[in-house]
Amino acid sequence: MKIVACIKQVPGTNDCTIDPETKRLKREGVEAVLNPFDLYALEQAMLLREAVGGEVIALSMGPPQAETSLREALSCGTDRGVLLCDRAFAGSDTWATSYALATAIRHLGGVELVLCGKQAVDGDTAQVGPGIAAHLGWPQATYVSAMPGVEGKRLTVRRMNEDGHDVLEVDLPAVMTVVKDLNTPRVPTLRSCLAARKATVTVLTAADIGADARCLGLDGSPTRVVKTSPPPPRGTKTVHIAGDGRTCARQIVHELRMKSLV
Amino acid sequence: MANEPDRVFHVELLSPKQKSPKLEADLDLFAEKYRKVLDAGHVACITDNPMGILSFQGTELIDVLGLPVRPEQVSIHLNTFHTKKDLDGILTQAIAMGIDNLLAISGDGSPRLPKLTGKDIGNAVESVTAVELIRYIHREYPDQFTVGVAFNPYEPPAHEMEKMRRKVDAGAAYVTTQPIIESHETLEQLETFGIPIVIECWMSRKLHLLAECVGYEIPEDTPYDPMANLRTLMARYPHCEFYLALLGFKTQFPLLEQACA
Repeated sequence: MKIVACIKQVPGTNDCTIDPETKRLKREGVEAVLNPFDLYALEQAMLLREAVGGEVIALSMGPPQAETSLREALSCGTDRGVLLCDRAFAGSDTWATSYALATAIRHLGGVELVLCGKQAVDGDTAQVGPGIAAHLGWPQATYVSAMPGVEGKRLTVRRMNEDGHDVLEVDLPAVMTVVKDLNTPRVPTLRSCLAARKATVTVLTAADIGADARCLGLDGSPTRVVKTSPPPPRGTKTVHIAGDGRTCARQIVHELRMKSLV
Repeated sequence: MANEPDRVFHVELLSPKQKSPKLEADLDLFAEKYRKVLDAGHVACITDNPMGILSFQGTELIDVLGLPVRPEQVSIHLNTFHTKKDLDGILTQAIAMGIDNLLAISGDGSPRLPKLTGKDIGNAVESVTAVELIRYIHREYPDQFTVGVAFNPYEPPAHEMEKMRRKVDAGAAYVTTQPIIESHETLEQLETFGIPIVIECWMSRKLHLLAECVGYEIPEDTPYDPMANLRTLMARYPHCEFYLALLGFKTQFPLLEQACA
């Protein structure tokens, strides 16, 4: 099975600020990490490869420094890393990004399964996975929390919903977004890290994948951010509890219960 | 051949971080320090993802870097933030290499590190601490390892001593303390367990970095002479061994023999 795991490099901190002019995240000077949810997509891709054979390709779109995250994916055990890197991609919203990724997946050829983390922790939109499915015209399953079976060209998956979960049978090729209940991502070894540092990451431009320039970047992005504002500060209150240990413990439990925290 | 120093120190070696941008240089430096410690006749103690930061394992470092193992001179830290498969891999590799000294600790977690569960290691209790880890090691790898444990004198004494009792009952063969500055009253109580005590000596001049460990703020400008503290501890606790944390290899390592004089 040829599997693509889509990954994204995101700021590794909660202290991000938003550029008031462009309404985009300021990424300069902030440590970059691999989007945590994508680790579960990578791990599942490798578990499937171990079960049925095939190839795992980590695919990302971003600036040249996003190569670091692809090398991390390689150190986890993916076979190849592909970076979509071109000024034409700059400013793409989730629709244009998913178009570029879907076009690259077509360009790679023979892909049967695309796995994505449920969302990236910077934008939190959860739109790119479903967007890829829409551009490819493939079935999709979102918030996948278990993959109990693979039978030929059909995958049985469990997807989380607000009331519990659904069990779905999905015909391949398909796109899936995954949640962290799915697996335990492996920790890279020293040997795999050293090998990943020497591996070749394929860099593809918009022209390489045959993308339509009108569908990329700001021109290809229907989203317009008209205003951003920080969330209102959370109200905090300090409660002093007096008395012996038993009384204090009771009071703490009472306070927590009143807030539905226990 | 290793030297036979007057006093054998347990020297902490921080394992290189996985995300280091200068990984090759870090690996070279680690290998250089490791060889230095062994050649001087001391014990190289390799950490396990300290502070929850993803780092390389002691056994894989020794293997990949082709470092020598002298069983009496190598100790690896092992915490509870591993999958069972990885834990067994580390233990099996340690046996194959002739490493028989482990320091079992609960450890620091992070979202990137998996956590052992009770189910993984056949325990009824879901949470896994150093106690369950020691029991597992002794049960699954009988007579293969000498397992040490950690002791924090800055925790409430009754609680920490009770934890220590459970660790000893589980098979702890020695105890390594958190850093001690000059002296600490709980060390006398520790002696009642009848196992060797290894006292950690903080070798960085930055005493304020100990704040999280001791549980209170230490001003950044607090004067501290690590070598003087080491000499004080050696004089006060002559029957104990010493674990040197954050030892400076350029400036402090050459002075160790002198410190023993």
